[in-house]
Amino acid sequence: MSATTQTAVKRRGSSTKRSKAFRREERTGWAFMAPFCILFLVVFVIPIIWAIYQSFFQQVATGGGAYGGGSLENKFVGFANFQYVVTSSAFWQGIGRVLIYTVIQVPLMIIVALALAMLLDSLIVKHVSGFRLLYFLPYAIPGVVASIIWVFLYNDQISPIVKFLEMFGVHPDFFASNAVIASMANITTWTFTGYNMLIFLAALQAIPHELYEAARIDGANGWQIAWRIKLPNVRGAALLAMLLSIVGTIQLFNEPQVMQTADPSISDSFTPMMMALNTSRGSLTPKGDGPASAIAIVMALIAGLLAAAYAIVERKVNES
Amino acid sequence: MVSLNKRIFASVAAVAALSMGLAGCGSSGSDSNASSDPNEKVEITYMHRLPDNAGMTTVDSIVKQWNKEHPNIHVKATKFNGNASDMIKKLETDVKSGNAPDLAQVGYSELPEVYTKGMLEDVTQYAEQYKSDFASGPFNLMQVGGKYYGLPQDTGPLVYFYNKKAFDDLGISVPKTQSELLDAAKKAAAAGKYIMSFQADEAGNMLTGLAGASGEWYTIKDDAWVVNTMTKGSKSVAKVFQDLLDSKAVATNPRWDPSFDASLQKEQLIGTVGAAWEAPLLMQSIGESGKGNWAVAQLGDWFDNAGKTGPDGGSGVAVLKGCKHSKEAMEFLDWFNTQVDALISQGLVVAANSKDAKTPEEWKTYYDGQDIMQEFIKANENMGQFTYIPGFSAVATAMTDAASKASTGSQSMLSIFEAAQSTSIDTLKDYGLSIAE
Repeated sequence: MSATTQTAVKRRGSSTKRSKAFRREERTGWAFMAPFCILFLVVFVIPIIWAIYQSFFQQVATGGGAYGGGSLENKFVGFANFQYVVTSSAFWQGIGRVLIYTVIQVPLMIIVALALAMLLDSLIVKHVSGFRLLYFLPYAIPGVVASIIWVFLYNDQISPIVKFLEMFGVHPDFFASNAVIASMANITTWTFTGYNMLIFLAALQAIPHELYEAARIDGANGWQIAWRIKLPNVRGAALLAMLLSIVGTIQLFNEPQVMQTADPSISDSFTPMMMALNTSRGSLTPKGDGPASAIAIVMALIAGLLAAAYAIVERKVNES
Repeated sequence: MVSLNKRIFASVAAVAALSMGLAGCGSSGSDSNASSDPNEKVEITYMHRLPDNAGMTTVDSIVKQWNKEHPNIHVKATKFNGNASDMIKKLETDVKSGNAPDLAQVGYSELPEVYTKGMLEDVTQYAEQYKSDFASGPFNLMQVGGKYYGLPQDTGPLVYFYNKKAFDDLGISVPKTQSELLDAAKKAAAAGKYIMSFQADEAGNMLTGLAGASGEWYTIKDDAWVVNTMTKGSKSVAKVFQDLLDSKAVATNPRWDPSFDASLQKEQLIGTVGAAWEAPLLMQSIGESGKGNWAVAQLGDWFDNAGKTGPDGGSGVAVLKGCKHSKEAMEFLDWFNTQVDALISQGLVVAANSKDAKTPEEWKTYYDGQDIMQEFIKANENMGQFTYIPGFSAVATAMTDAASKASTGSQSMLSIFEAAQSTSIDTLKDYGLSIAE
């Protein structure tokens, strides 16, 4: 966005005559842009460049001996860190887990969110804002806190849910190795359904009501209005919600990180994000910021590819 | 979902802000060495991870007393809210950018790693004079390759915590030998109770300590590491836990999961190996209902350990690289680490040489009048020597992974120590250190 502004400015600047008023206006424009640009640069662009730079280095002791002389040196290793990442089975297992997670969780959440939004929109009741708040409430709870709450609700010794199910003779184990991903997906769904519903609701309420009237005059019933008018009009919102969700689930972190305290079988490389953190901390080998940055970069590339692929498929489907 | 990103940025920003706020040693007004002017006021910063819970003598109040008595050496203590590996990561960054605190809490198992990462200041010349103030074992844990980098604070010898009343009801006593342990565990299991726990999340620390009681894993020969995690002790630990697991006579709840506490409260788990510093934590875990029932004993000869015990945790305070007033920092440190009563109130088994370390009244009432501090001191004196390698945290992680698989039976207990062996070697190589093949 800033790039296009810049070229526009340059083109104007090259034309010889510029009024004072125009220059002042330009300055004001940049002044308004400054807070965003500076923050964007400091917390986004510079860290990314730094991470890319670091990903070509490894820290090794050069002093020799058993303890290495008491200092680590940055050694340029070329693409060795990337080679490690793409050949690491732990990394691809992590990617596999988040992909399974994405495939199960995202569609489920989006469909539920859409259904809730259409329900609220169609009811046109007085209490829309009340329901809206109610559905949105879980999102107001920080992800880490939500995960901690659910860890207690999953615990087989103290959970009221487990106790309730046991009355019917069901003995659930939410931490069983084949259930743990679903348990995490449940936390994410609980937290973010309301948020996505809000995106859909906003899109639905932006649809001009004349369309409904026209449809009714043409003899359409409620279902047909929902199917033929409402759904096609929230496609843009759906694309946005899907993209955000896909990128978000690839970065799955809070839920497994918190659930690890209750379930040590969730390894330090359970998701790529956890693997990056624990590599940088030194609790995984190879350690350090170099390999950790490489993991983060490869993960970002994969997330970007997936999001792009989804957007292209979506557009193709829309066109046809 | 979009907020995952934002949240991580927020926490990174918070950490960055925190590190900016920490005044380094260099900001103390003088850039010359400490000895220049005896009346000059120096500023020492100290970062710790002590609990500072309600009812404890807080670090700030101990430091306040020091500052009152020593107007020329002003200490500022900061508590780090987070775990050890986060703190090391933070300090590593701070040392690189030259604004690290002068003193920081570092676990004994982390000290070699922190040294290899180039974060420590050699204070051998000041350490010698304080030697007599500390037990010799922990004092030596603050050295790497013959040089000293700080002073010890607390120790974590492994001991046995058990519910005496429940033991009496079952007609069993604390086992002395391996076969007695297995028999008692099976007898208890028949009554639906466990006298041992296998804590997968603590495997890296606890199993290392148990195995280490009978011999070291890491030794140095000709300036290169000799790695052998498959010692007699390791095999014995694997065998005992495998037997207990196979006969369903051991609790497998992770230590830091709420189900561990629930199991203690229900009197299902009635005995467990634990580090000495767990005494007050277990009091919280068990709760009021178990008050007066629990006791502390030495480990029996369960793992071919011949009456010895091993280390699990314990920390010292190290002087970090870039500190310009090492002498004054060590002077404060010696004073701080010998504030026995205050440190005990923080739940520590102090490393200071103090025979008269008293069991706090509250602990005494909880553990049925037992002078448990004396048990801990006894265990301390019985602790086998154990050297950690740089990067041990990666070994502990690998052991935790293997242990969680072992606890569900999909892998053998022995595989935990095999994982330790291969990860130790990989990690040493990754650090660029020498290994004797």
